Amino acid sequence: MTGRKHISALLIHGAIILYVVFLLFPLLWVVATSFKPTAEIYSGELTILPDDGTLDHYRSVINGQQVLRSMGNSFIVGVVSTVLVILLAVPSAYAMVRYTSVINNAILGWILVSQIFPVILVMIPLYVMLRHMGLTDTLTGLTLVYVVWSLPFVLWMMHGYVKSIPLELEEAAVIDGASRIQVIFQVLMPLLLPAIGASALFSFISAWNEFFFALVLMKSPALATLQVELARYTGMEGQARTGPLAAASVIATIPSVLLFILMRKWFTTGLVSGALKG
Amino acid sequence: MKRSLTIVILCAAFGIGGYWWMQRDTGLPVKQPLRFVSLAWQERSIAANKEIVAEWNAAHPEMQVEYIQGTWNSAHDYLVTAFETGDVPDIFHYESSIIVDYAMRGYLTDLSPYISPSMKADILDVAWATVTRPNGEIGGVPFLIESLVVLYNASLFEQEGIVPPTLEHPWSWDDLRAAARRLTKDLNNDGVTDQYGAAFGLRSSANIVMNTSISFGGSFFVNKGDHFAVEVHDEEKQLLQTIVDMLYTEKSAAPASIGESGAGMIPALFSGRCAMLIGIGAWGRQQLMENAPKDFRWGVMPALKAKTQMYGASTQTLSVPKRSPRPKEAMQFIEFMLNTQNMARLALNDWMIPARRSCLTMPEFRDSIGGWDITTAAVATLGVGSWLGAPGYVEWKSRVANPVLQELFAGRMNVEAAAQRIERESNIVLSRYRKRGDVW
Repeated sequence: MTGRKHISALLIHGAIILYVVFLLFPLLWVVATSFKPTAEIYSGELTILPDDGTLDHYRSVINGQQVLRSMGNSFIVGVVSTVLVILLAVPSAYAMVRYTSVINNAILGWILVSQIFPVILVMIPLYVMLRHMGLTDTLTGLTLVYVVWSLPFVLWMMHGYVKSIPLELEEAAVIDGASRIQVIFQVLMPLLLPAIGASALFSFISAWNEFFFALVLMKSPALATLQVELARYTGMEGQARTGPLAAASVIATIPSVLLFILMRKWFTTGLVSGALKG
Repeated sequence: MKRSLTIVILCAAFGIGGYWWMQRDTGLPVKQPLRFVSLAWQERSIAANKEIVAEWNAAHPEMQVEYIQGTWNSAHDYLVTAFETGDVPDIFHYESSIIVDYAMRGYLTDLSPYISPSMKADILDVAWATVTRPNGEIGGVPFLIESLVVLYNASLFEQEGIVPPTLEHPWSWDDLRAAARRLTKDLNNDGVTDQYGAAFGLRSSANIVMNTSISFGGSFFVNKGDHFAVEVHDEEKQLLQTIVDMLYTEKSAAPASIGESGAGMIPALFSGRCAMLIGIGAWGRQQLMENAPKDFRWGVMPALKAKTQMYGASTQTLSVPKRSPRPKEAMQFIEFMLNTQNMARLALNDWMIPARRSCLTMPEFRDSIGGWDITTAAVATLGVGSWLGAPGYVEWKSRVANPVLQELFAGRMNVEAAAQRIERESNIVLSRYRKRGDVW
């Protein structure tokens, strides 16, 4: 029996290791490619580690194109939109859960329906509206679009999290003399932190990875975001400047990986709590 | 948890602070510069474009140009949204087959009144033909001609005792097939082919098939007077059958060709996995010059002869949107950007054929190094496909031709079935455009 358990554990761990290798392989490939000289990339030989490592692609990326500036733009837009989304989503979700009314279900339904619309369908009317407000080709305009784009899903997530917090906790605080504001900030918020972390991470990564809105709305080269900048390494008919593209992709991945490491605890807790109790 | 929270709050504070700083810094200038969207993507090509723009700006302080780097993969979405919303760049770089569609949809300024007689006379007629409507309207100024070439591994040819073709003695497709068979080898006798005589880039093969089929007498598109129809006759089928035979009957073409682009097959040429790369754009030579192993020797073949050596040409262009408020100024910049000297710079850096006659006489374009002599000689055998001006051609290529050809070359159907499917599906797509009333 014990032997069987060992074999079973071995198989499970083996499967997990294989899966992790499968997930990590593209990342490893990109990192390795970013250090290979161009001739080695085109040699047609399948190697993982570079034979003759070089930092040329990183130099080319940092000196040649505006990757660092575009990262700055993406970071700014991502952070501001995330803060705004969270500031709007938390009280909205609280209100929807605690103040039940007949339109709540309709609102939740509408949130789901709003996710169905393809970007291309809303692009032109959205562009025209933003232009009338003087917000095209500005980080403000792009931030607002990201807020609108992420808010429904984050609201949906937060709704599940808030619902999972027992009402009795709030009632106990009220009996102890806490006001509504105190209940929200001193009782609810600490409990919601993992959920806020998870939602914030989702919102930030959505903005960080978004391409089409940034491409169409931002005209000035100085305001290009990272994804738009990365696309500039690809050419026609499947060609790409593979080495610099890999180096730029590695640089581009660092902030989201760091953020994920910092917030992983919140992220997993938040996701699980929302999923199980929502 | 507290530490993480502090870091997150600091990030947020930094983000918001940076945001306001950026906003303060992005006030619009009083006089807007002309906006030029370039699709140059190679390092040297980008540098050449930027240098030319900088030279213009230095000489024209009253009419500055802002260089905006676009991307090939998203240029269509970017431009169509710009055309529809009116927030357009003043000048943009694209390719003839797509700007033909834009011209029909009324997105482009007719440049014919603005083009100088010297530029008009100097640019090749075949290049103008790719952008000129029957009524004389010009949708863009062509500056780089895209042509297909065959690249070969000279060492493998020598080892096999094969003499490569010359401009005076070009190969027929039969010659090429015979050479490919000889060059296909199982080097270690393990029953697996280690070296293929030929390779194609057939992932999106409509371009190669359309432009090459002209040499077989094929056209696919037939102008019926008030509309276009797609017909696949023996001439069109001949090329398709040739490729299928090389892949499956003679097995002299690398199977990897089916899912790869021409650029994707270049490593196979370097490593000796294939001896010839057929139907890659002339730009492919750049990869060979810059990235080939030190001992790699290669050459460019003159256009293969089927019925003729005539191949279809397309061009890269500079156009001015109809909604640009300054077409005259935009055209002044285009005249500068594409003068003989600058066009030669752009062509040399992009490894493509310049569209000006005055460029083609320069020694750089007659040089055998890099295969420029053979590549530019192809100008004499370039023609314009009958599909030029067919409303819906761009959609047809992506929705019908590429998928059906991919299935054909993957061995999922025979040439006859592919021909029938192309005819049936094509005419469904084209009828939509017919109803819309687009006219070239």
